[in-house]
Amino acid sequence: MTREEVFERLNKVFQEVFDDETIKVNDSTTSEDIDDWDSFEHINLIVAVEEEFAIKIPMGKVVTMKNVGEMADIILQLGN
Amino acid sequence: MTITSFTYLLFLAAGVFIYYLLPRKWQWVELLGLSILFYCIVATPYTLIYILIATAAVYFATAFLEKGGRKAATAGVIAVVINAVLWFALKGYALWAPLFQVMGITVKAPVAALGMGYYTLQAVGYILDCYWGNSKPLKNPLQLLLFLCFFPQMITGPISRFHELEDMYEGRDLSYQNLTYGAQRILWGFFKKLVLAERVGVLVAAIWGNPEQYNGFYSWIAFVAFPLQLYADFSGCIDIALGTAQLFGIRLPENFNSPFFSRTTQEFWQRWHITLGTWTKDYILYPVLKCGSMQKLSRFLQKKWGKKSGKLAVTAVGMFCVWMFIGLWHGEMKYVVGESLWYWILLMLGEIFAKRCKKWKSTLGITGDSFSWHLFQSLRTFLIYAIGIVFFRADNLKEAFSFLGDVGGVLIGRHFNPWVLFDGSMEMLGIGSTDLWVIFCGVVLLFVAGALREKYGYAREWVSRQLLPFRWLVWCGLFLFVVLYGKYGAQYDSANFIYQAF
Repeated sequence: MTREEVFERLNKVFQEVFDDETIKVNDSTTSEDIDDWDSFEHINLIVAVEEEFAIKIPMGKVVTMKNVGEMADIILQLGN
Repeated sequence: MTITSFTYLLFLAAGVFIYYLLPRKWQWVELLGLSILFYCIVATPYTLIYILIATAAVYFATAFLEKGGRKAATAGVIAVVINAVLWFALKGYALWAPLFQVMGITVKAPVAALGMGYYTLQAVGYILDCYWGNSKPLKNPLQLLLFLCFFPQMITGPISRFHELEDMYEGRDLSYQNLTYGAQRILWGFFKKLVLAERVGVLVAAIWGNPEQYNGFYSWIAFVAFPLQLYADFSGCIDIALGTAQLFGIRLPENFNSPFFSRTTQEFWQRWHITLGTWTKDYILYPVLKCGSMQKLSRFLQKKWGKKSGKLAVTAVGMFCVWMFIGLWHGEMKYVVGESLWYWILLMLGEIFAKRCKKWKSTLGITGDSFSWHLFQSLRTFLIYAIGIVFFRADNLKEAFSFLGDVGGVLIGRHFNPWVLFDGSMEMLGIGSTDLWVIFCGVVLLFVAGALREKYGYAREWVSRQLLPFRWLVWCGLFLFVVLYGKYGAQYDSANFIYQAF
């Protein structure tokens, strides 16, 4: 799985979780950039990402993840 | 010794002087020595044993965690339980004592360790961070002891995370910026506590102390003034803590971010007692929401009630756990069934109506960025907060509801006495007209500092960019203000910070 493929699938997950088809994420996207991305939606997002990529993100990573770039790194690390 | 006393300033001056004379690798040892000395002067010395027990439990558990496997998890759980039981036995007296009373046994309140509510959360957070692989366990138990009992955070926190303090063992070189910023921050804390909180506290105590005589508009004064007192008191102590740490070149996490500028209750709790909020988010909310059974419940409810309602229901359960924990952490049932429940309900209502409010706003043509809308939102948020902390101020639920009844009664014309604001009656409350002016000027100053922070970041950094005469004028003016109008002495006992109780 390449980084581009990860971002393509992440865009779909974000659009579905936040009900907004215009969302496009990149390495530096953070919760500040998406209106409804608060601490409640963060977990919904993590669970949706886990289902999409068939991975289990450890709690330690859930807590420290700072942006979508880090999320992609974790997906690549756990998925490969 | 209180942290607003001259003795404390001498203690600090001597501590800082020695700190920068020492080689960097030995500086943390001096900090540990200072922390233990501070503890023995300020608290009951033998209670230090509780911190030593907590440190030993955490140290052995995290040593096991490095090895991994099932034993590691068990060791972690045991250490968390030891810390929780110690806290519950010593700080949760008001929670368990009634059970003994029912059985006819009277138990004397135990003497808890200073800062127990704060260092226990740090200890549990550190165990989980090590377990999750986010922090590396310390090899030296004395360094762990310093992390838990670092003296600036022993009075009212903040609740630090290990990664925020782990470089304090490396030592620091003398820095002009750290010394000046640290001293300025301490001065700002002195201003909040001695000039504002102590003065407003007299007013609030007089009204709360005699509700039959002081009703109607008096209740409204106390209702509005107590949040201000609590903010000035708590954030003032945090300013002194952060300033103290910065004198040693150590940055503790911020605990406040101009909370009264918040537009919503959710935002308010991201700006008030920030370190407790982030602690509960990372160590309670996230693990609860992500655990398998909650995910099953979420899927079930989403199928039954639809995606949004299902998600919301699970969020409500997670938030309920967080608010119950916060209530219990404060150590009395009045916090749990009054304050916590109130904020939880309001936050959930906010979530439920968020989308509808957006629609109503656009239908009514309200511009979200206008000053008047922001003001309305901030006043509404303040009101919600003020109602909640009535339970914090009252001795019990009955007193809280009676006070709220009085505040609400004014709105329907009961005890309608607005003239007490203007006819000199305020001076019967123990403060004179000069005090009222000092409170007014102090609140304006707080507001200006908050507004500067909103616009430019930290107010003191804004001041530091100004010309030298202006800078000196600001800091000397504040110093004089504190010296002339600070409330010292035994009568109002400026020793006690409200959040010191936790």
